[in-house]
Amino acid sequence: MTTPNPFREDLVSRSRAESCSIVIFGATGDLTHRKLIPALYNLAVDGELPTGVKIIGFARRDKSDADFRSGLEELNRKVSRSGHDSEIWGNFIQNVSYHTSEFSDPAGFRSLAEKLDAIDADHGGKGNRLFYIASAPEFFDEILVNLKNAGLNESKPGCWARVIVEKPFGTDLATAKHLNEVVNDTFQERDTYRIDHYLGKETAQNLMVLRFANAIFEPLWNSKYISHIQITCSENLGMEGGRGGYYEKSGALRDMVQNHLLQLLSLVAMEPPTDLSADGVRDEKVKVIRSLRQWDTPEKVAQNVIRAQYTAGHVDGNPVPGYREEDRVSPQSNTEAYVAVRLLIDTWRWSGVPFYIRMGKRLPKRSTEISIHFKEAPCVLFNAISGGVPGSNVLVIRIQPDEGISLRMVSKIPGTSLRLEPVKMDFHYATSFGKGSPEAYERLLLDAVAGDATLFARRDEVEEAWKFIDHIERAWHQSPNPPPMAEFVAGSWGPKEADDLLHGDGNAWRRL
Amino acid sequence: MSPSTDPIPDVCPELGVAVPVAAIDLELRKLWEQDDARTNASLMNLVVYSEKPGALIENSEIIRSLTRDHACRAILVGIDRTEPTPSLRAWITAHCHLADGRKSVCCEQIAFYLTGRVTGRFRNTVFAHLNSDLPLVFWWQGELSDILTESLVRVIDRFIIDSSAWVNPAASFAIIEEVSGSNPDLIIQDHAWTRSWQFRVGIAGLFDDPVALQALPHIQEVEIIHHPDHRNTALQVLAWLAVQAGWKIISNKGTIALESSAGSAITVALHANPASPPLSAVTIRAGATQVQVTQKAGASHVERTLDAGAYHATSLSPIDPTTSAELVAVQLARGGRNSLYQKILPAFRAMLEA
Repeated sequence: MTTPNPFREDLVSRSRAESCSIVIFGATGDLTHRKLIPALYNLAVDGELPTGVKIIGFARRDKSDADFRSGLEELNRKVSRSGHDSEIWGNFIQNVSYHTSEFSDPAGFRSLAEKLDAIDADHGGKGNRLFYIASAPEFFDEILVNLKNAGLNESKPGCWARVIVEKPFGTDLATAKHLNEVVNDTFQERDTYRIDHYLGKETAQNLMVLRFANAIFEPLWNSKYISHIQITCSENLGMEGGRGGYYEKSGALRDMVQNHLLQLLSLVAMEPPTDLSADGVRDEKVKVIRSLRQWDTPEKVAQNVIRAQYTAGHVDGNPVPGYREEDRVSPQSNTEAYVAVRLLIDTWRWSGVPFYIRMGKRLPKRSTEISIHFKEAPCVLFNAISGGVPGSNVLVIRIQPDEGISLRMVSKIPGTSLRLEPVKMDFHYATSFGKGSPEAYERLLLDAVAGDATLFARRDEVEEAWKFIDHIERAWHQSPNPPPMAEFVAGSWGPKEADDLLHGDGNAWRRL
Repeated sequence: MSPSTDPIPDVCPELGVAVPVAAIDLELRKLWEQDDARTNASLMNLVVYSEKPGALIENSEIIRSLTRDHACRAILVGIDRTEPTPSLRAWITAHCHLADGRKSVCCEQIAFYLTGRVTGRFRNTVFAHLNSDLPLVFWWQGELSDILTESLVRVIDRFIIDSSAWVNPAASFAIIEEVSGSNPDLIIQDHAWTRSWQFRVGIAGLFDDPVALQALPHIQEVEIIHHPDHRNTALQVLAWLAVQAGWKIISNKGTIALESSAGSAITVALHANPASPPLSAVTIRAGATQVQVTQKAGASHVERTLDAGAYHATSLSPIDPTTSAELVAVQLARGGRNSLYQKILPAFRAMLEA
């Protein structure tokens, strides 16, 4: 058993990040350059990165350490949250090296093992290892198998070996199960970190605090007081930069709903966990996903799910093409660039409360938010007033941009007559706290190094989410009478059919 | 009072508009009515108290910078107790900053200048202008005085001090202990402690390394180099090491020595160097293993090094803040109960009395 470091005790209220070697597969990719290395660098700037951390980039392209480092520096100067300090960068980058190998080449993994052993030798033969699979998904299998064959999945006594797997975690339930089997055949589930960067965002983390640290919300957080809940993720971008190729294979449902938005839904709808341990929280989250009513026939999908593509229009005053005219998109494409889903959670707490999720490209603006729409107050006192009571209370949790929380309530307009208007109480993170939040990847990487899996998806969460999504995908792509593909003009708030989805319940999408 | 002896003129742009004390709330409302585009933000009441001449204007500048990151209602208090005639004057202003380059976010500031016997008037004046429900952070600058009473401390949530500024820290801590008896939830934040944050994080980080951790039971020597004005910071680091590692403090004729839990002696060397930043080196030695955190004068980074024979590991981290405004900003950002400070306080006070 390892002796605890007494100087860590009470120093910070988070799990302890331990020194380790971090191997990034897919090191020449955009994710490594734009997100992972700047995140690790920013942790170093903040003094959060443990001393002795070594970073090894693993990729196919032949490169020297110097070339790799210079490419990383070039992008870090552009994207780093805290700017670029040459002295800290100089110290940080000397711990970064490059390892050239095909993902399919066992010899490349054996030489990686030798390299890691050499690093560990400095630590008396011991060393922790974190493998970050940031490559294209088709390489996940062979990377994991080769890690196992090289014995890199095994940790030395008193040490750990962990793996972070990037999305997409499968393309359906079958592939996710297969990938989970390969992962769990290589690493234990407790050492597997399936990353969903939405969970690293400040407001997503604040959801639990809002619900369970404020006595005023939780008593109202149920079907008795809540009319419905909306989760919106709108993007004004389309398929710029060749994204059409990837998007054609995924679509809005698989790209965003299966992971990010269902994760947010589970945080909003879960029961209070017994504790804040990773499994305590994830046990409750998975119950939500498991309780989703399944839209398991094409008819149910047609009634509860709307898919759409955008036609040519204007975004931010600029003309933009329709989805089928985008770069690397088939003119006959059957891929949805917009999806709206009506969900029901079959639990006591949420019985009869619809949850609406919508995600779309080429909408008027970029925004992700959760809105809790409360039931209207009995209007017995004010129903005689012209106009009645204008709308119900809405609690809005803004995930991005402009992270914050607002509450809409009804107030009397000053004057001698009794007139009511909605007013908004607004809390902005940036205004109130000033200090910028760390990037989601910073928090998540630090958590993985510290062994805290709370903000990572567990196997059963991923599989339950795919189970729900698969019914919809099957209805769209395998049934003889698939629900139709709707259309909307780029720059508008989505198709009329999505509006009708809510009108049927007497609700309407919140205007963002 | 003749204008020539008045330290603060009525027209004082740094403090804002001079207002009658009874009309402060009314004048503040007028201030906000002038411009609808501004948002009044406040997360706390921040009282800044000083008995130093001229401090009111200096503190207004500090609040201007502090409110960029910490929205608050600032209440500045300047006191001249040497002036026999009792008086009370007030000014109001708002510090505005553009949030995200678009929204003007403002924090209001009320400045009070009191002369004469002020104890009761001071307390009641401050109490009357607190934003309700928001926590009260009280930043006491300089030596403690009899203004600090139990009834004042009872309403304070967070008490910010700088023990390095005290001539007799042992006596001042005894005063705090005495007046805070009725407020067990009082959180004390000491600039002296905050100045050592990166050193403590650095030492803790180095002992994460198994090589250093193995050497922990065999530590023979702790050496700290500090600025002569910051001996308290050095002692607090020493107290922290002792408390966390379970070492016993042995004081003998003005010197401090430590004894490990196994009973072996640990030598302590404290060196004051006028050219040093508050702390310039903390070195822990155990045989061939040396753990060291250093900050060179004028450096922008703290260097952490671990040497054990052929093994050498090093990394950099930012330096701790130096100005009072930066220290307070960091303390407010960290928040929390500061329980580690409370934990080491008895050991630190024992060292002060050694």
